[in-house]
Amino acid sequence: MALDPSLPVLVVDDYKTMIRIIRNLLKQLGFANVDEASDGTAALNMMREKDYGLIISDWNMEPMTGYELLREVRADDRLSRTPFIMVTAESKTDNVIAAKKAGVNNYIVKPFNAATLKSKIDAIFGDAS
Amino acid sequence: MTEVGGKKARRKPDDDSACCCNTHSVTAEITLLLNTLRELAAIRSTAEDAAARILDSAEGLLALADKEEAKKAEDAIMSIMTACGFHDLVGQRVTKITENLDRVIATRLTGEEAVAPKTLRRGSDIVLEGPSASPDQARIDALFSKKN
Repeated sequence: MALDPSLPVLVVDDYKTMIRIIRNLLKQLGFANVDEASDGTAALNMMREKDYGLIISDWNMEPMTGYELLREVRADDRLSRTPFIMVTAESKTDNVIAAKKAGVNNYIVKPFNAATLKSKIDAIFGDAS
Repeated sequence: MTEVGGKKARRKPDDDSACCCNTHSVTAEITLLLNTLRELAAIRSTAEDAAARILDSAEGLLALADKEEAKKAEDAIMSIMTACGFHDLVGQRVTKITENLDRVIATRLTGEEAVAPKTLRRGSDIVLEGPSASPDQARIDALFSKKN
Protein backbone atom coordinates (compact mmCIF):
# COMPACT_ATOMS: atom_id res chain seq x y z
CA MET A 1 0.00 0.00 0.00
CA ALA A 2 1.62 3.29 -1.09
CA LEU A 3 1.41 6.40 1.04
CA ASP A 4 -0.45 9.25 -0.57
CA PRO A 5 -0.31 12.39 1.61
CA SER A 6 -3.52 13.63 0.02
CA LEU A 7 -5.46 10.68 1.42
CA PRO A 8 -8.04 11.70 4.00
CA VAL A 9 -7.16 10.81 7.58
CA LEU A 10 -9.68 10.56 10.41
CA VAL A 11 -8.43 11.27 13.94
CA VAL A 12 -10.71 10.03 16.72
CA ASP A 13 -10.17 11.19 20.30
CA ASP A 14 -12.34 12.68 23.04
CA TYR A 15 -9.56 15.08 24.04
CA LYS A 16 -9.38 18.13 21.77
CA THR A 17 -5.77 18.66 22.86
CA MET A 18 -4.79 15.23 21.54
CA ILE A 19 -6.64 15.76 18.25
CA ARG A 20 -4.81 19.06 17.85
CA ILE A 21 -1.44 17.42 18.57
CA ILE A 22 -2.00 14.57 16.09
CA ARG A 23 -3.37 16.98 13.49
CA ASN A 24 -0.19 19.10 13.78
CA LEU A 25 2.05 16.02 13.58
CA LEU A 26 0.19 14.81 10.48
CA LYS A 27 0.52 18.27 8.92
CA GLN A 28 4.29 18.10 9.44
CA LEU A 29 4.27 14.68 7.74
CA GLY A 30 2.48 16.20 4.76
CA PHE A 31 -1.10 15.15 5.47
CA ALA A 32 -3.40 18.09 4.83
CA ASN A 33 -6.74 16.33 4.60
CA VAL A 34 -7.47 15.54 8.24
CA ASP A 35 -10.92 15.21 9.81
CA GLU A 36 -11.74 14.62 13.45
CA ALA A 37 -14.35 12.84 15.57
CA SER A 38 -14.79 12.72 19.33
CA ASP A 39 -15.90 9.08 19.65
CA GLY A 40 -16.44 5.86 17.73
CA THR A 41 -20.06 6.51 16.83
CA ALA A 42 -19.29 9.87 15.25
CA ALA A 43 -16.28 8.35 13.47
CA LEU A 44 -18.29 5.46 12.06
CA ASN A 45 -20.92 7.85 10.72
CA MET A 46 -18.19 9.91 9.04
CA MET A 47 -16.58 6.79 7.57
CA ARG A 48 -19.87 5.80 6.01
CA GLU A 49 -20.09 9.22 4.35
CA LYS A 50 -16.49 9.57 3.18
CA ASP A 51 -13.62 7.26 2.24
CA TYR A 52 -10.68 7.56 4.64
CA GLY A 53 -7.20 6.26 3.89
CA LEU A 54 -6.18 6.02 7.54
CA ILE A 55 -7.88 6.01 10.96
CA ILE A 56 -5.97 7.10 14.05
CA SER A 57 -8.09 6.41 17.11
CA ASP A 58 -7.98 6.58 20.88
CA TRP A 59 -9.45 3.61 22.78
CA ASN A 60 -11.16 5.02 25.87
CA MET A 61 -14.08 7.13 24.61
CA GLU A 62 -17.84 7.25 25.10
CA PRO A 63 -20.32 6.15 23.95
CA MET A 64 -18.40 3.99 21.45
CA THR A 65 -14.80 3.09 22.30
CA GLY A 66 -11.97 2.89 19.79
CA TYR A 67 -11.93 -0.89 20.18
CA GLU A 68 -15.63 -1.11 19.35
CA LEU A 69 -15.03 1.20 16.39
CA LEU A 70 -12.24 -1.09 15.19
CA ARG A 71 -14.54 -4.12 15.37
CA GLU A 72 -17.32 -2.29 13.51
CA VAL A 73 -14.87 -1.21 10.81
CA ARG A 74 -13.42 -4.68 10.36
CA ALA A 75 -16.92 -6.18 10.18
CA ASP A 76 -18.01 -3.77 7.44
CA ASP A 77 -17.20 -4.99 3.93
CA ARG A 78 -16.68 -1.50 2.56
CA LEU A 79 -14.51 -0.28 5.46
CA SER A 80 -12.73 -3.44 6.52
CA ARG A 81 -9.45 -2.72 4.69
CA THR A 82 -8.99 0.79 6.10
CA PRO A 83 -5.66 1.07 7.94
CA PHE A 84 -6.28 1.62 11.65
CA ILE A 85 -3.78 2.84 14.26
CA MET A 86 -4.74 2.81 17.93
CA VAL A 87 -3.20 5.66 19.96
CA THR A 88 -4.04 5.09 23.59
CA ALA A 89 -2.88 5.15 27.20
CA GLU A 90 -3.99 1.51 27.52
CA SER A 91 -0.91 -0.67 27.54
CA LYS A 92 -2.09 -3.78 29.37
CA THR A 93 -0.85 -6.80 27.43
CA ASP A 94 -4.29 -8.44 27.24
CA ASN A 95 -5.79 -5.28 25.76
CA VAL A 96 -3.00 -4.86 23.20
CA ILE A 97 -3.48 -8.49 22.14
CA ALA A 98 -7.26 -7.99 21.94
CA ALA A 99 -6.75 -4.99 19.65
CA LYS A 100 -4.30 -6.95 17.52
CA LYS A 101 -6.76 -9.84 17.22
CA ALA A 102 -9.51 -7.37 16.29
CA GLY A 103 -7.36 -6.29 13.35
CA VAL A 104 -5.61 -3.08 14.38
CA ASN A 105 -2.65 -2.34 12.07
CA ASN A 106 -0.49 -0.69 14.69
CA TYR A 107 -0.61 0.45 18.29
CA ILE A 108 0.92 3.53 19.89
CA VAL A 109 0.98 3.99 23.63
CA LYS A 110 0.61 7.50 25.07
CA PRO A 111 2.67 9.52 25.70
CA PHE A 112 4.28 9.27 22.29
CA ASN A 113 6.41 11.43 20.04
CA ALA A 114 6.44 12.48 16.39
CA ALA A 115 8.98 9.81 15.44
CA THR A 116 6.78 7.02 16.80
CA LEU A 117 3.72 8.21 14.90
CA LYS A 118 5.77 8.55 11.71
CA SER A 119 7.30 5.09 12.08
CA LYS A 120 3.89 3.46 12.57
CA ILE A 121 2.44 5.23 9.54
CA ASP A 122 5.53 4.28 7.52
CA ALA A 123 5.15 0.65 8.61
CA ILE A 124 1.58 0.54 7.33
CA PHE A 125 2.35 2.23 4.03
CA GLY A 126 5.55 0.36 3.34
CA ASP A 127 8.02 3.05 4.38
CA ALA A 128 6.99 5.21 1.44
CA SER A 129 6.51 8.54 3.23
CA MET B 1 -36.36 3.30 71.82
CA THR B 2 -35.38 0.34 69.68
CA GLU B 3 -36.83 -3.14 69.33
CA VAL B 4 -34.21 -5.71 70.27
CA GLY B 5 -35.15 -9.40 70.41
CA GLY B 6 -38.83 -8.57 70.73
CA LYS B 7 -38.27 -6.37 73.76
CA LYS B 8 -38.21 -2.63 73.84
CA ALA B 9 -34.74 -1.50 74.69
CA ARG B 10 -33.79 2.00 75.67
CA ARG B 11 -30.72 3.29 73.89
CA LYS B 12 -28.11 4.60 76.27
CA PRO B 13 -27.45 8.35 76.08
CA ASP B 14 -23.89 7.53 74.97
CA ASP B 15 -25.29 5.65 71.96
CA ASP B 16 -27.23 8.76 70.88
CA SER B 17 -24.15 10.91 71.01
CA ALA B 18 -22.13 8.25 69.20
CA CYS B 19 -24.78 8.14 66.47
CA CYS B 20 -24.80 11.94 66.28
CA CYS B 21 -20.99 12.04 66.13
CA ASN B 22 -21.01 9.36 63.49
CA THR B 23 -23.49 11.36 61.38
CA HIS B 24 -21.29 14.43 61.74
CA SER B 25 -18.27 12.35 60.84
CA VAL B 26 -19.92 10.99 57.67
CA THR B 27 -21.12 14.48 56.71
CA ALA B 28 -17.62 15.86 57.21
CA GLU B 29 -16.15 13.01 55.23
CA ILE B 30 -18.54 13.55 52.33
CA THR B 31 -17.91 17.29 52.37
CA LEU B 32 -14.20 16.57 52.20
CA LEU B 33 -14.71 14.18 49.27
CA LEU B 34 -16.90 16.69 47.43
CA ASN B 35 -14.24 19.37 47.93
CA THR B 36 -11.66 16.94 46.59
CA LEU B 37 -13.82 16.36 43.51
CA ARG B 38 -14.04 20.12 42.98
CA GLU B 39 -10.24 20.38 43.19
CA LEU B 40 -9.84 17.55 40.68
CA ALA B 41 -12.22 19.30 38.27
CA ALA B 42 -10.12 22.44 38.67
CA ILE B 43 -6.91 20.50 37.94
CA ARG B 44 -8.44 19.11 34.77
CA SER B 45 -9.60 22.55 33.68
CA THR B 46 -6.22 24.14 34.47
CA ALA B 47 -4.38 21.42 32.54
CA GLU B 48 -6.68 21.87 29.55
CA ASP B 49 -6.21 25.67 29.53
CA ALA B 50 -2.44 25.31 29.88
CA ALA B 51 -2.20 22.76 27.07
CA ALA B 52 -4.36 24.95 24.79
CA ARG B 53 -2.19 28.03 25.47
CA ILE B 54 1.04 26.11 24.88
CA LEU B 55 -0.36 24.72 21.62
CA ASP B 56 -1.44 28.23 20.53
CA SER B 57 2.11 29.47 21.08
CA ALA B 58 3.72 26.45 19.42
CA GLU B 59 1.48 26.79 16.35
CA GLY B 60 2.36 30.48 16.19
CA LEU B 61 6.10 29.69 16.39
CA LEU B 62 5.76 27.06 13.69
CA ALA B 63 4.25 29.62 11.35
CA LEU B 64 7.08 32.08 12.11
CA ALA B 65 9.98 29.61 11.85
CA ASP B 66 12.83 31.03 9.77
CA LYS B 67 13.57 28.96 6.67
CA GLU B 68 17.23 28.17 7.51
CA GLU B 69 16.50 27.21 11.04
CA ALA B 70 13.12 25.80 10.18
CA LYS B 71 13.97 22.13 10.62
CA LYS B 72 15.53 22.64 14.05
CA ALA B 73 12.69 24.92 15.09
CA GLU B 74 10.09 22.48 13.79
CA ASP B 75 11.57 19.60 15.78
CA ALA B 76 11.60 21.64 18.97
CA ILE B 77 8.08 22.91 18.40
CA MET B 78 6.73 19.44 17.62
CA SER B 79 8.36 18.23 20.82
CA ILE B 80 6.52 20.97 22.75
CA MET B 81 3.28 19.99 21.03
CA THR B 82 3.55 16.28 21.78
CA ALA B 83 4.42 17.10 25.40
CA CYS B 84 1.00 18.76 25.59
CA GLY B 85 -0.38 15.24 25.60
CA PHE B 86 0.06 15.51 29.37
CA HIS B 87 -3.42 17.05 29.38
CA ASP B 88 -4.95 13.82 28.06
CA LEU B 89 -3.10 11.65 30.59
CA VAL B 90 -3.81 14.02 33.50
CA GLY B 91 -7.45 14.05 32.44
CA GLN B 92 -7.68 10.26 32.32
CA ARG B 93 -6.06 9.89 35.73
CA VAL B 94 -8.31 12.57 37.23
CA THR B 95 -11.36 10.87 35.71
CA LYS B 96 -10.32 7.62 37.33
CA ILE B 97 -9.89 9.28 40.75
CA THR B 98 -13.17 11.16 40.34
CA GLU B 99 -15.06 7.96 39.54
CA ASN B 100 -13.50 6.19 42.52
CA LEU B 101 -14.47 9.08 44.83
CA ASP B 102 -17.99 9.13 43.38
CA ARG B 103 -18.16 5.44 44.21
CA VAL B 104 -16.98 6.02 47.79
CA ILE B 105 -19.53 8.81 48.27
CA ALA B 106 -22.36 6.68 46.85
CA THR B 107 -21.36 3.79 49.12
CA ARG B 108 -21.21 6.06 52.19
CA LEU B 109 -24.58 7.60 51.40
CA THR B 110 -26.47 4.40 50.58
CA GLY B 111 -24.55 1.85 52.62
CA GLU B 112 -24.43 -0.36 49.53
CA GLU B 113 -21.42 -1.00 47.37
CA ALA B 114 -21.60 1.20 44.28
CA VAL B 115 -21.18 -0.17 40.75
CA ALA B 116 -17.73 -0.31 39.18
CA PRO B 117 -16.43 2.97 37.73
CA LYS B 118 -17.38 3.68 34.12
CA THR B 119 -13.78 3.54 32.95
CA LEU B 120 -13.59 -0.08 34.06
CA ARG B 121 -16.84 -1.02 32.36
CA ARG B 122 -16.11 0.56 28.98
CA GLY B 123 -15.52 -1.81 26.10
CA SER B 124 -17.84 -4.58 27.31
CA ASP B 125 -15.69 -7.64 28.03
CA ILE B 126 -12.46 -5.64 28.18
CA VAL B 127 -11.33 -3.99 31.39
CA LEU B 128 -9.54 -0.72 30.73
CA GLU B 129 -6.80 0.37 33.11
CA GLY B 130 -6.03 3.84 31.84
CA PRO B 131 -2.55 5.37 31.80
CA SER B 132 0.25 3.09 32.92
CA ALA B 133 2.96 4.14 35.37
CA SER B 134 5.58 2.92 32.94
CA PRO B 135 4.31 2.94 29.35
CA ASP B 136 6.65 0.96 27.12
CA GLN B 137 6.29 1.26 23.35
CA ALA B 138 9.03 -1.31 22.77
CA ARG B 139 7.01 -3.95 24.66
CA ILE B 140 3.94 -3.13 22.54
CA ASP B 141 6.02 -3.33 19.36
CA ALA B 142 7.33 -6.74 20.45
CA LEU B 143 3.75 -7.96 20.92
CA PHE B 144 2.92 -6.74 17.43
CA SER B 145 5.90 -8.36 15.83
CA LYS B 146 4.85 -11.77 17.18
CA LYS B 147 2.71 -13.89 14.91
CA ASN B 148 -0.83 -14.45 16.33
